[in-house]
Amino acid sequence: MLSSEPDTARLGTCAGCACACDDIEIRTSESAAPRWARTCALGDAWFAERLAPQGPVASIGGREVELEQAVSAATAILGEARLPLVFGLGHVSCEAQRCAVKIADAAGALIDPGSSPASTLAFMDHGSSTATLGDIRDRAKVVVVWRADPVATHPRLLARLGLDRAGRIGTGAEAPRRLIVVDTRRTATAEEADAFIAVPDHLNFEALWTLRALARGAALTGAVAAEVPLAQLRELLAELQRCANAAFLHAPTGAPDRLDADALALSALVRDLCRATHVVALSLRGRANAAGAEDAVAAHGGYPTPVSFALGHPTASLGEHHAARVLSDGGVDAALVVAGEELAHLPPDAIARLQTLPAIVLDGRNTTSAPWPGAVRFGTASTGIQHPGVIHRLDGVPVPLRALAVAVRPSDAEVLGAVLAGLRPAAADAGDTRDG
Amino acid sequence: MGDEMRIVGGRVFDPANDVDGVVRDVCVRDGRIVADVAPGARTINAAGMVVMPGGVDMHAHIAGPKVNAARKLTADEHRGDVLPRTPMTWSGVGGTVPSTWATGYRYALLGYTTVVDAATPPLAARHTLAELRDTPLIDAAFLVLMGNNLPLYELIRTDRARVRDAVAWWLQATGGFGVKLVNPGGVEMWKHGNRNITALDEEVAGLGVTPRSVIETLAGAVDALALPHPVHVHCNNLGVAGNWRTTMDTLEALDGRRAHLAHLQFHTYGGTPGERPRSRAPELCEHLNAHPEHSADVGQVMFGPATTMTADAPVSAVLREITHGRWINADVEAETGCGIVPFAYREKNYVHALQWAIGLELFLLTKDPWRLVLSTDHPNGGSFLSYPRLIRLLMDRDFRNEQIKLVNRQAIRRTVLLDDLEREYTLNEIAIVTRAAPARLLGLRDKGHLGVGADADVTIYSECSDREEMFATPRYVLKAGEVVVEAGELRGGHMGRLLRVEPDFDPDVVRSLEPMFERHYSVELANYPVSEPWLLEPSHTVPVGSDGGPAQ
Repeated sequence: MLSSEPDTARLGTCAGCACACDDIEIRTSESAAPRWARTCALGDAWFAERLAPQGPVASIGGREVELEQAVSAATAILGEARLPLVFGLGHVSCEAQRCAVKIADAAGALIDPGSSPASTLAFMDHGSSTATLGDIRDRAKVVVVWRADPVATHPRLLARLGLDRAGRIGTGAEAPRRLIVVDTRRTATAEEADAFIAVPDHLNFEALWTLRALARGAALTGAVAAEVPLAQLRELLAELQRCANAAFLHAPTGAPDRLDADALALSALVRDLCRATHVVALSLRGRANAAGAEDAVAAHGGYPTPVSFALGHPTASLGEHHAARVLSDGGVDAALVVAGEELAHLPPDAIARLQTLPAIVLDGRNTTSAPWPGAVRFGTASTGIQHPGVIHRLDGVPVPLRALAVAVRPSDAEVLGAVLAGLRPAAADAGDTRDG
Repeated sequence: MGDEMRIVGGRVFDPANDVDGVVRDVCVRDGRIVADVAPGARTINAAGMVVMPGGVDMHAHIAGPKVNAARKLTADEHRGDVLPRTPMTWSGVGGTVPSTWATGYRYALLGYTTVVDAATPPLAARHTLAELRDTPLIDAAFLVLMGNNLPLYELIRTDRARVRDAVAWWLQATGGFGVKLVNPGGVEMWKHGNRNITALDEEVAGLGVTPRSVIETLAGAVDALALPHPVHVHCNNLGVAGNWRTTMDTLEALDGRRAHLAHLQFHTYGGTPGERPRSRAPELCEHLNAHPEHSADVGQVMFGPATTMTADAPVSAVLREITHGRWINADVEAETGCGIVPFAYREKNYVHALQWAIGLELFLLTKDPWRLVLSTDHPNGGSFLSYPRLIRLLMDRDFRNEQIKLVNRQAIRRTVLLDDLEREYTLNEIAIVTRAAPARLLGLRDKGHLGVGADADVTIYSECSDREEMFATPRYVLKAGEVVVEAGELRGGHMGRLLRVEPDFDPDVVRSLEPMFERHYSVELANYPVSEPWLLEPSHTVPVGSDGGPAQ
């Protein structure tokens, strides 16, 4: 059910990707379907998939039940499991994420924020240099897109950063900004750029290391120097060193279960360049609230990695505890899938294993099918559709999501809050709160 | 919270009410201090114990994106310091940047009941608020970074009269408590191209403001709004040899307006830039002694691990070149920056020993403990868990002299610590610098004292000649009249409140800000102010005064 005011226009926030565009114009009326403007195709799909959730609010094994019954069943699953897994956080609000982490603590579970282990390792070893979107837009004169394709993955990002063709033209006094793409092949983003450097997959690390060597004045010898596009890399470095402020946009690196060195090489390069130039790097996270998920797990659990509460306190390990890996390895015996959207990211063997476990799934989309028999399923309404909330944009900035329609289904945070209350009554806790 | 309680027979230190070690009862009802309670009220036998108001930490970094980034970076510390889940508490990790729940528990276990986060970028207020909601037991507030704010710079240049309304708007929009300036102008120069600002009259390139004009205008705005806490200033040139002159210039630029200087120790160096720093603590103390409108927190360095985290990003770049270790830089559009470098202070290092000694000089030379408050700028100078050790250094001359022998001798010779600085802080003075004074400087009339009507935040210590042991493990801690800590264990208790200010402003200022937001930000102005009730409540709005001064 939508707002009953005639043709109301309001500002909304899209959570179709981690850009969290908050200038979406939403028009609702009694007589017509809602319309929205300024979204990209991803945003269109996000709104369309969530405006009209179907199916039961609560079901067990495909059979509709009262909400309280499903909550009890979910609580029982988590309470009885030896090591449950909590994942899918990147798709839900900060409020729901904080609740999910508390559930993991209360249930002695393993919680995976969904970050790439390679990027996390690079961060833990080096730290990072980054900036919010406005500072990249207003200060970075040279922007390098390294093996990412924002035109495809974050369609409005280049324009918002002033890096589309129109935005890059200088104002007369200033030189135009430069957009350079480094990738294995000419992507859609490469077509928009000023320059393209082709670096095959197997030479990605070498290319980054070559740039480091050039930046530090180290001698290049032998085969590597011959294989990488050296002249182009030299030119790129010269551009980066000539300007006062530059940025790298890159995709979260590596497969979910690999600790490859490319992320370390990129991070080390940025740091080396920072001695002379003000350089920042931004990871183009995909899931709308991926940054929020990392923030929530780190705030309560203390680590940027997946965290296990199995020992009664947070422990961390890099590479071992990612959802896909533990499902494939058979290490967990129950699962709380905080967002059904996450299932599309799991490899087939992880899905197959998941379907044999007691599981709880929350889903705010219009889908009517239960993921598999035996699952406790909650048909929630998404934050940003029927419920207000907050997400952390890809650059970490908290952005509010607005309720655009009357709430007729519970939010993810409300369902998780009810499950948490079943696991751990609030009254016992020192300073606990169930808000939000 | 409706319970009545009588704390019986303790030695009470309540400097704000001139109570200096008098044995008397303290009575509590409905979360407040009252004159008397019924005979049947619950009692705590505090005979032989010391009773003080709950601790007030007026400058620490405890929540928000900068703190969380540092949490992520200090995994090695966390592995060695875990807090197990109990029926009463969530689990967590410690170290110099504890997890959210651990932060609240450990402050409460230390006898602290109010903590102010020293620096939040307003764009990320929702993040700070969310973390404070998971930081239990303490009342909390945060200062809003405004010293490198581009819309404010535009207003300072083109419409200075509007700055007051803009500041009020920002405080309302964020749930913040006060105005914080960090290296005004310098952080903007850093983001632009790794530059900095070193003099008060140096122009912030192309923006038509100088540190002086920023400091003057914002200090004036804070006074015009009669905010409970003065403008809180982290001066330019932090850590640089010779920076005492910048500090003095800054104080002079304030031209009689009230101000609070953050972590004064880091801004008290003599010598020449590029060479070994020396101490100018006597000069700074002399100034403070002569200027009742100025106050400071010390920013004491304590040997051992620390995590430097600051909006003063250029300083972090310098530290990075010293440690060659992990480093975070995070630019926040239109507003500020952030730098994080894990660190360790070592006794034998000249600079670290000098910093340690200068902090002690400041404490020992000041004539007015009401205006020089205890802090380590947690966790920049060391964890708040080192406060008991610092208290022992101040109260126990023999212990202090033993420690002085262990540190770099050359550094000590640059200070006056060897010149028969015999002073020992009394319990009354400790109560001032850890409770009464910070509460007063913050303008919190209901905190930091045990007079009738005050919040019933009370800490009870067992007397112990080892003052570090005494202050490390309070016997009881009450928060809002409820026992939250007993014999070193958490006993439950409620979420604290957000302390905020909501000064009025001319709504027309929003029209002035609209085009500036369009130019400098990447979020919609309509989405910027925090409106989510679960982030803002429970809160207590501290009234703005009419006299432009702190409470009492």
